[in-house]
Amino acid sequence: MAFTITCPICGPRSGYEFRYGGEDKGPRPDPAQMTPEAWCDYVHMTDSRPGVQKEWWYHRAGCGTWFTIYRDTTTNLEVAPDSPETVA
Amino acid sequence: MIRLNHLPTLRIKPGAPRSFRYGRRRLQGVDGDTVATALFANGVRVFGRSLKYHRPRGLYSLDGESSNTLVNVDGVPNVCAETTLLAEGMRVSSQNAFPGPDFDLLGFMDALSWAMPAGFYYRVLHKPARLWPLAVPFIRKMAGVGTLSADFQAPGRRDEIYPAADVCVIGAGVAGMSAALAAAEAGLRVVLFESRPWPGGAFEYRPGTARDGVAYYRKTAELAAAVQASPHIRLFLNAPVIGVYSDGLVTAFQRGRPPHPFDERYIEVRAASVVAATGCSERPLLFDHNERPGVMQAGCAHRLARTWGILPGRTAVFSVGHDLGLEAAVDLFDLGVEIAAVAELRQDGLDRALVDALAQRRIPLLRGWSVTKAHGRHRVTRVTLAGPNGRFRKTIDCDLLVASAGFTPVTGPLTLAGARLAFDAHTGFFLPASLPPRVHAAGRLTGRQDWHAVAVSGRLAGLSAVHDSGIDRTAAIGESIDELASLPGPARGTQFVLAPGSGKKAFICFDEDATVKNVDQAMDKGFDVPELIKRFASVGTGPGQGGIPGHNLPLYVHQSGASPDGHPRPTTVRVPLTPTFLATYAGTRLDMSKRTPLHALQVADGGRMERLGVWHRARRFSEDERSREEILAVRTAVGMLDASTLGKFRIFGPDAVKVLDRVYVGDMTRVPRTRAKYSAMCNEDGCLADDGVIVCTGDNDYYFTTSTGRAGMTVEWIRYHTRFDDWDFGIVNLTDAYGVINLAGPEARTVLQRVTDADVSNEAFPYMGYREFAVDEIPVRAMRLGFVGELSFELHVPASWMVHVWNRLMAAGGDLGIRPFGLEAQNTLRLEKCHVIIGSESEQRTTLHDVGLGFLWHRDKPWAKTVGDTALRQTEHQPGRLKLVGFRMADPTAPLPGDGSVIVDRRIRGYVCTARYSFTLKEPVGLALVDDALSAEGSSLAIHEDGCGGRLARAVVTETPFYDPEGLRLRM
Repeated sequence: MAFTITCPICGPRSGYEFRYGGEDKGPRPDPAQMTPEAWCDYVHMTDSRPGVQKEWWYHRAGCGTWFTIYRDTTTNLEVAPDSPETVA
Repeated sequence: MIRLNHLPTLRIKPGAPRSFRYGRRRLQGVDGDTVATALFANGVRVFGRSLKYHRPRGLYSLDGESSNTLVNVDGVPNVCAETTLLAEGMRVSSQNAFPGPDFDLLGFMDALSWAMPAGFYYRVLHKPARLWPLAVPFIRKMAGVGTLSADFQAPGRRDEIYPAADVCVIGAGVAGMSAALAAAEAGLRVVLFESRPWPGGAFEYRPGTARDGVAYYRKTAELAAAVQASPHIRLFLNAPVIGVYSDGLVTAFQRGRPPHPFDERYIEVRAASVVAATGCSERPLLFDHNERPGVMQAGCAHRLARTWGILPGRTAVFSVGHDLGLEAAVDLFDLGVEIAAVAELRQDGLDRALVDALAQRRIPLLRGWSVTKAHGRHRVTRVTLAGPNGRFRKTIDCDLLVASAGFTPVTGPLTLAGARLAFDAHTGFFLPASLPPRVHAAGRLTGRQDWHAVAVSGRLAGLSAVHDSGIDRTAAIGESIDELASLPGPARGTQFVLAPGSGKKAFICFDEDATVKNVDQAMDKGFDVPELIKRFASVGTGPGQGGIPGHNLPLYVHQSGASPDGHPRPTTVRVPLTPTFLATYAGTRLDMSKRTPLHALQVADGGRMERLGVWHRARRFSEDERSREEILAVRTAVGMLDASTLGKFRIFGPDAVKVLDRVYVGDMTRVPRTRAKYSAMCNEDGCLADDGVIVCTGDNDYYFTTSTGRAGMTVEWIRYHTRFDDWDFGIVNLTDAYGVINLAGPEARTVLQRVTDADVSNEAFPYMGYREFAVDEIPVRAMRLGFVGELSFELHVPASWMVHVWNRLMAAGGDLGIRPFGLEAQNTLRLEKCHVIIGSESEQRTTLHDVGLGFLWHRDKPWAKTVGDTALRQTEHQPGRLKLVGFRMADPTAPLPGDGSVIVDRRIRGYVCTARYSFTLKEPVGLALVDDALSAEGSSLAIHEDGCGGRLARAVVTETPFYDPEGLRLRM
């Protein structure tokens, strides 16, 4: 967590102030079409790809907002949303 | 020993003695001494014995580069004597030596060194396997330094601080101070770390003169005065850096001394920019017996005299490879040390003025020569020097050998910050080839040795840091670059590491007793990368954190031709850069906890307070661990529980009800204004996360409670599960704004009616009703609930009025036998009623169905996308789950099974959640989570308890709830 995270409300802050909310998987899919296995995958499985990923963070010790950032999991540093690597 | 007390560079107060004990001896040092210099001044030369071979070890450097001077100070083992300031009354003793460092019974180990080649442990002791258990106790006894008992508690006061800074400068030498001043001029906040007890680095003790004719120590002192006068610079002295991380995070610790209110404190800074100005350490020269007491680095010998007023020896031989060594020889001669000879590794490139100074003093200078061996059993008595081709040899008597091959940049902080190093042949240094953004390097670690060049490089780094922060410094940076170009560039350095000789006893790593020969053995085994050789031969893995072998190992490996790509490559540096006490990381150990508004009253009433999560709560109000009197009061009269720890929230706004429908399993679209609705929250697995009560307090305005442990994360939970919906709602955590009194028992209504004008009759305020009324004009939110299974009112009162309302109720119920009850009583009462507590009757994998609360789930609200809805659907009839059941003991007189005891047949089939003796039913009852095959009424359960010796207790699954199954008492 030795990195800073840019909160949309509070600006760049120490990573210790935030709670990780997992990779961004988009809004919940329609469960009616899903088998229990597929639902379980949606809830529990992650891509865990090396490189830039979009992910959720919560400003726990701050404004209490959930938001997404891009982070390079290989350098553990935040990547600006407009940089070319963020295009998955 | 008499100190030189007239030197302007002294850091001691010769007139302020400090007495201390060393083993059984009473010794005296002076204020400003480190433990090492005080011992040295008292004639101590052998400080301890080495790890493997028990070789005598002495003072070699002064900044903790090796474990040579680890001692026990006031019961704390492995304290570095070089970096610990002496204090009055200290008790110092040596380590790893019996009976003492001067004569050690295990000294014979040195003669057995041939039997312990590199990788000894890995290669020799693991086969045959049955030998290993025999070898372990022996190795344990022999290996390691210092002893520590398992119940040792680190003495001293610890602290921690997190200062804010724009720029963090590591190292308060000339470059670091110049950088800090450049940043401070722009008004930026600067944190400056210095590991020594004073600023100044490599120049503060030197009497030599800079180009403008002013002595180094004077110029450095002026710079230090400017730093200390700057309101923008916070200088931490005695503060070694532990680690540097991404995005400007720097951690350090500071050793305190009076009047500091701490003995050691942890420091963490997040700076916008980092400047590394860590300077150089000396590169050890490798030759046989290069770590004999009496061998020391040039800076060590020089600083002993200049800083502490101690002459390092009577007769000295120098074998050096840099001008600083020549400067030390000249200065020590002037201070009274006889210099028998100066062997200089370099043939040319020597400072002319220093060569002349040596000649004037008739000190023989042997160019191209080097020491090859130190003689003497416990300390140096003689040295052998060899000429350029290794043929000519000289042996000279002396008691001090100053040996130093050159400089090694201290690159640890830079590499941790993400810099890539590349070997530079001119300086012989690993220099930063690329730096991450907002990280700058300055000073001697870049190879520059000239005072002015070092200062300007520091200023340049400081200006660059200012520029990083958005203040334009393009012009000033340009000027500094030009000025730097006009000053002497990086000085040429030697790549010389190993003197001609066998290398059998040339120690490349003092901490781990690793010799050059051990490195050769590792290379013979096929290891070709320093990173691997380091591990196999244990080079640089000791307390000195690679301070001695640091760059010598990669250079030696490179010179041997073993490295696969022909480039020397440094080994990886890791935190902590300086060994740090775990107690220092632990810091102040502040125990953050909360007290309810009634805390003092509860204590005054005899409440046995207990820590539950963040809260202090009353477990019971008597000696009786089963709280019989409290339970009977609630069942037969009336009692009051402080339930203020419940999570309490207001949620409001046009979309508030959508939010509630999303997180609660029930249907929230119809919560009438006068009713309280009980519901539960699940996670996406359908597992129980929370339960609580929701009331509607106005249009689109709701108030709800959560269990105590969930209060802290409810806002986060709700916002998370609505993050894709652009809903309009607000949520306020009122947990600390309201207190809660649970007034329960058949007489509860009588008591309540006495304190309010509102009609609280069963008709006007029925079970599960919600009312707002006043008690002495205090607004109270009242819910008629029944957690403990009796007529009860949950009164939500503004926190500041809690004491008043509590006392009013207490007084009103005095004639009815009202009394406070605690958590123990509540637990038994609700158990009789089979009301679950999340976390007691549920765990990570327990669904709403499993605990029998499936009726709370409203399955027909797909629009709400309720969290857990899908999983509840999928697990509704899933076989093989653990189900919550009630049980009674087959033999009612059997002892009560403990909470958590397992239920077994051939395998574990479940466990007891809660079991208590029921005074109402006069027998033990309990709740258990058991395999659904065992959950039918009448099933027999076998309970195994720790220590039951195989005698299983028998229980029978029975109908629930145990008490008042019709629920009549709740509705009375």
